[in-house]
Amino acid sequence: MTSETGATTPFLPAAKSRAGRLRAVAIVAIALALLLYGVPGLPTYYVRVIDMVLIYVLLGVGLNMVVGYAGLLDLGYVAFYAIGAYTYAILASGQFDIHLPFSLLLVVGGGLAGLAGVLLGIPVLRLRGDYLAIVTLGFGEIVRLFMNNLGWMTNGPQGISRIDEPHLFGMGLNSPRDFFFLLLPFVVAALTIAWRLECSILGLGWAAIREDQDAARGIGIDTTVAKLLAFGLSATFGGVAGVIFAALQRFVDPVSFSFWESLTIVLIIVIGGLGNLVGIVVGAAVLIVVPELLREYSEYRMLLYGCALVLIILLRPRGLIERRYNPAWLMRTLGWR
Amino acid sequence: MILDFEAVTKRFGALLAVDALSLSFRPGIITSVIGPNGAGKSTLINMCAGSYKVTSGRILLDGVELQGLKKHQIARQGVARTYQNIRLFDGMTVLQNLEVCLFPELFGKTLVEVLVPGASRAMKEKRIARCMAVLEHFGLEGHAGEFAADLSYGNQKLLEIARATILRPRVLMLDEPAAGLNHGETDRLKQTLRALARPDLIMIVVEHDMSLVMSLSDHIFVLHQGRLLFEGSPAAVQSNLAVQEAYLGSPGEIDDLREAARNRSNRVRIRAHTDIERRRPDAA
Repeated sequence: MTSETGATTPFLPAAKSRAGRLRAVAIVAIALALLLYGVPGLPTYYVRVIDMVLIYVLLGVGLNMVVGYAGLLDLGYVAFYAIGAYTYAILASGQFDIHLPFSLLLVVGGGLAGLAGVLLGIPVLRLRGDYLAIVTLGFGEIVRLFMNNLGWMTNGPQGISRIDEPHLFGMGLNSPRDFFFLLLPFVVAALTIAWRLECSILGLGWAAIREDQDAARGIGIDTTVAKLLAFGLSATFGGVAGVIFAALQRFVDPVSFSFWESLTIVLIIVIGGLGNLVGIVVGAAVLIVVPELLREYSEYRMLLYGCALVLIILLRPRGLIERRYNPAWLMRTLGWR
Repeated sequence: MILDFEAVTKRFGALLAVDALSLSFRPGIITSVIGPNGAGKSTLINMCAGSYKVTSGRILLDGVELQGLKKHQIARQGVARTYQNIRLFDGMTVLQNLEVCLFPELFGKTLVEVLVPGASRAMKEKRIARCMAVLEHFGLEGHAGEFAADLSYGNQKLLEIARATILRPRVLMLDEPAAGLNHGETDRLKQTLRALARPDLIMIVVEHDMSLVMSLSDHIFVLHQGRLLFEGSPAAVQSNLAVQEAYLGSPGEIDDLREAARNRSNRVRIRAHTDIERRRPDAA
């Protein structure tokens, strides 16, 4: 069995190779060190852009569980990002003079968003395709409008500004560089969990639902539970990303959670390669870095997005990164085994 | 163990598809259900699998009522089926199509699989080994890495049967397994189905290929307009006058009708393909 057939079965190594793993880790570590310290005096601005790329990788990995794995188009994903962000903003700021620790709020924000994901999942269980997209889009807007209009809690359109500096293990995180090192383990963990889910029996079950929901039921898959798990897990990732985002910005307002954010995250997945984690990392890098480079032309951003999407769909309908260049391929290439 | 249909009725609006039908299926033998178009054969399978709701009556597997259960619950009771129009998971590999069938058994261990170091690989290897053994049994091991959609028609049919049998079901329902197959493929299918028979398996075949039905079945139910017209051994069915009139035609025309049945199979194949095309866009 080879991967030349274009098949995506992630064949895992037969034997563990400690040396191979060490080498793979070393390669990645050197690459990261070069990224951060290799360029002498990399301006904070660039580190900040890298931070945003990492946050969007988290969001892409999360949304991919619903859209890429289970095949359910969710256009309101930004709602979970917003729930996470506002959780931190409200519970660690001068807003109500509540100052809960960052680590606790990571759990609370992720949990609340996950709960919201399941609650959104229940009414849309019977919907697919366009109908699902419309309902989730509506959900995203509802959450944003709540943030906008629930002035006593969210401070309305002005947003919440006096957000605490996050502390972790007694250290204050205040520079983008600190956040880079905070985000890195989260991104690695998210990618690992997502990849292991993709390889797991649940991942296969999601794929079956994506291919033929009725036949999936026929082989004994409880599609209700599987879909709610997809919605809940996916939303949890969004919530965690939101908490980190709020801590990084130290300011949240409803404008940050508009429909365009949802669209950007969907685009990251579609442009990178639907269902492919390597593609999501590439997609996030492209969709965050390129607009930053073209900042002077920012009024054309949506036009450029549109053109890029049309070109991708015409030229590479499966995304920039082919499916065979998946994490299994990456691990092989790095010599993990 | 026994599968009982007790006065089962199915109405589609004004159409009475199945009319207070009572049948018993026994394990260890191959039971065929035949009858002209619209006799209610596929409806029977669809009701048993939970795809259609029963209008009235009961379907009992070993005393457990199936008609109120959800589709996936019925599957977990050990009821497996194949479809008249092949329904594989086209975008997944042949191997993955089988792996995913272990879902009811392995789902409870997902948390361990995802979170415990090393468990992901170990469990996947175990799963693959088990599925490869089944693929070898069906002679499909060489196609394990291909997408299901890229298999030949005959191999897709085989894979569907493999998918239905991997969890060792108690009831196996095959809806027109030979439709669209050529002679060689039909022979291979016949051997495969014979090899599947076990003393504890209720095997139900709905089929139009009369020569296959007659040579494969131990017992035959003949349906006509939603009712049981006749039941008995293949020989008894062939010699029964009422059956011949309702289904096979007058005695002299049997060869013609066999030919017609074959043509019909071809039509079913074409229809199956158009159905698949049609199913794509509105997967709802």
